[in-house]
Amino acid sequence: MAKYLLRTFAIAYLFLLVAWPVSLVVTHTFANGFDALHAIFTNADLLSALRLSAIAAFIATVINTVFGVSVSLLLVRTRFPGQRILGALLDLPLSVSPIVVGLALVLVYGPLNGWFGPALEAQGIHVIYATLGIVLATSFVSLPLVIREVVPVLREVGDDQEQAARSLGANEWQTFWRITLPSIRWAVVYGVVLTLARSLGEFGAVKVVSGNVSGETRTAPLAVEEAYLNFNQEGAYALAFVLASVSVICIAIVAVLRHRSGKVHS
Amino acid sequence: MSIEVTGVNKRFGDFVALENIDLSIPTGQLTALLGPSGGGKTTLLRIIAGLESADSGTVVIEGQDATGLPVQKRNVGFVFQHYAAFKHLSVARNVAFGLEIRKRPKAEIKKKVDELLELVHLGQFAGRLPSQLSGGQRQRMALARALAIEPSVLLLDEPFGALDAKVRKELREWLRRLHDEVHVTTVFVTHDQEEALEVADSIVVINQGRIEQIGSPDDLYDRPANDFVQSFLGPVTTFNGRVVRPHDIDVTTHEVPGTTAGSVDRLTRIGLEVRLDVSVAGSDAPITAVVTRAEALSLGIEPGSKVWLRAV
Amino acid sequence: MTTRELRTSGLSRTSGVGLGITMLWFSLLVLIPLIAVLVTASEGGWANFVRTVTNEQTAHAIKLTLAGAVAVTVINVFTGTVIAWVLVRDRFPGKALLEFVIDIPFALPTIVAGLVLLSLYGIDSPLGINVANTEASVFLAFLFVTLPFVVRMVQPVLEELDLDVEEAAASLGASRATTFRRIVLPSLAPAIFAGAALSFARGVGEYGSLVLLSGNLPFKSEVASVRILSAIENDNTEGAAAVAAVLLVISLLVIVVLDAIQRKVAQRG
Repeated sequence: MAKYLLRTFAIAYLFLLVAWPVSLVVTHTFANGFDALHAIFTNADLLSALRLSAIAAFIATVINTVFGVSVSLLLVRTRFPGQRILGALLDLPLSVSPIVVGLALVLVYGPLNGWFGPALEAQGIHVIYATLGIVLATSFVSLPLVIREVVPVLREVGDDQEQAARSLGANEWQTFWRITLPSIRWAVVYGVVLTLARSLGEFGAVKVVSGNVSGETRTAPLAVEEAYLNFNQEGAYALAFVLASVSVICIAIVAVLRHRSGKVHS
Repeated sequence: MSIEVTGVNKRFGDFVALENIDLSIPTGQLTALLGPSGGGKTTLLRIIAGLESADSGTVVIEGQDATGLPVQKRNVGFVFQHYAAFKHLSVARNVAFGLEIRKRPKAEIKKKVDELLELVHLGQFAGRLPSQLSGGQRQRMALARALAIEPSVLLLDEPFGALDAKVRKELREWLRRLHDEVHVTTVFVTHDQEEALEVADSIVVINQGRIEQIGSPDDLYDRPANDFVQSFLGPVTTFNGRVVRPHDIDVTTHEVPGTTAGSVDRLTRIGLEVRLDVSVAGSDAPITAVVTRAEALSLGIEPGSKVWLRAV
Repeated sequence: MTTRELRTSGLSRTSGVGLGITMLWFSLLVLIPLIAVLVTASEGGWANFVRTVTNEQTAHAIKLTLAGAVAVTVINVFTGTVIAWVLVRDRFPGKALLEFVIDIPFALPTIVAGLVLLSLYGIDSPLGINVANTEASVFLAFLFVTLPFVVRMVQPVLEELDLDVEEAAASLGASRATTFRRIVLPSLAPAIFAGAALSFARGVGEYGSLVLLSGNLPFKSEVASVRILSAIENDNTEGAAAVAAVLLVISLLVIVVLDAIQRKVAQRG
């Protein structure tokens, strides 16, 4: 009896809070057939917004994957003073407000008053109000995602296989490439997909660091806001639909992959 | 009779776990349910406990029909193979759990818990967490926890299966001594015949969902009802078409009428005994015969020696 | 070459270099910028800081943010545990769909989340519920973006739970409800708290989903992050840093709580 109550509650809650609202975005987008979507893909500014988002997300994902895997190895396979503190600090991006992230980056890399900004500007390196700033902000917010997927797997798998490889003569790089990396490949895949989704969607932090200049430093999420505030509701919904679809596809990929590899093990 | 099981059947899908089981477990005795893995003994134990329900048949505990009763109401003490310790509670709180559920006064609970912890020699660990105990200690705690509710029967599911050999032996003897002190009707499941033979007053051999034989350790070892029981309870060897115990094969180094000739392939010393693998004409597999070390020495048996065998 | 093995005691040369590089990147990207917030906030002195933070509009925004985050966290503790329970212990056709839906708020761009909520709870609401530009909109947005945190923390713990332990409690006389209260819930508690901490932190810092839905009306639906952004846009970096520092301290406290929980769990074994 209690079972059916709980089940109904869970389904109703998720339906009212997530499923129904999301489906309404879809209906709004296709209210006039494919017109809204067509409008986006023929709008140069919106296209460049999508392109900027994609590029920034891609670069941030690559950086965070390399960083994430390295840090995971350092946290699990080695021991050094301050290790636990580092592990805890790495979760910071999950708990810090995106606006604070943006502000923090501006305070350090701002071209006029930042700690390092002016020095970098003198070298011709533009961070704030430029693509680099967007990449940094995006990397910041999605930093922990690969780590949180890889660390538990590294812990569970243990280093037996790596020890065996070393006893057979493999050096560190060979061991990493041939033994360690394959053992965490699915965790890395999940982490990459989640990082990509998060990076594409970042809004607040990017708003602060980018200057939000149309066609230059306006990312897709920023374009959604701009469109809505300029009474272009159709455009806003259509763009939101595109972004949402990418997120949804990302989750779907992870869900399917997890389901498959879960089946293999049980 | 403490427990009366009548006509119990249980299937899991197509798999028949128990077929028409009739069993009476005497009060105050230590009974072993012995058999190979998957044979149905754990299922039977869990049906007695009320953790599973039989498809048909009845379970009567201490004269009361327990067939329809949920496990909470049966007042059985159950001990699990992997201890099932309440990880967030101290050893004392673990043991006290059943009494706290029954809303006994605090003073009474404390007294009982202290008594039981003394009984199982865990008095000094009362405040520790289960994670700080060894496997053997955790299992002793689990036993104390089960005994705390003063159960009418104590049921143990392969209680020593997760422990290493030395601890297993120690706890085996300890369980026997505990039973002698406490006298609760106890049923335990095991696939280890040595354990059953050493500890139990009476053994129920279960195989493929059916009871093969019930009896005392001596009954089962010396007067097995069939080949399965004989081979399960002790070493066997096939000699002249009969299944016999290696102990019961007489070995001489000279020909005597009525014996079969063979030669020793291998000689293995196991403690005070010597096991001989003897090749015999007309038999594919070597015959296993066991003699004492003294015998082997006095007969001068070595690999390659010619010997004559006779089943006693 | 005498390279020390990559044992779990000490660093080889490669990992030493790796540690150096990763720490450098982490400092440049995360640590130094966050420290800059704290430094800038304290630059004007304590009195200035207090004045900025207790400014009427700002104080209201902070209070609204905290109250909303706390309320939503309390609700999430309950709903998150229920949903996790249904996902792990219940079986019905279409359950996989639920799993999928739960992750959507996490992966969705926050601005899109705002639009999503607007379509059901805004002006053209098919349900007739319009919370746009009200205090309630803040609450709703928080509820949406913090949905997955408790669920995803509790779910794996629930999956790993030993059924033996629940059977043991039953054999000792505990009813289903008592077993849940005394045995299951304590095992879930650390995961629930960890999820609650993350949910709280996320709520406190939320921005994107509120932009379109709440209208950011001062003294009504304006949250702390919006105040910070206003200050930045008005070139008032000190003021922005002051409020940001408040949020940052909260984030750090959450991290400390998470770490403490992790250590306690490791102790229980």
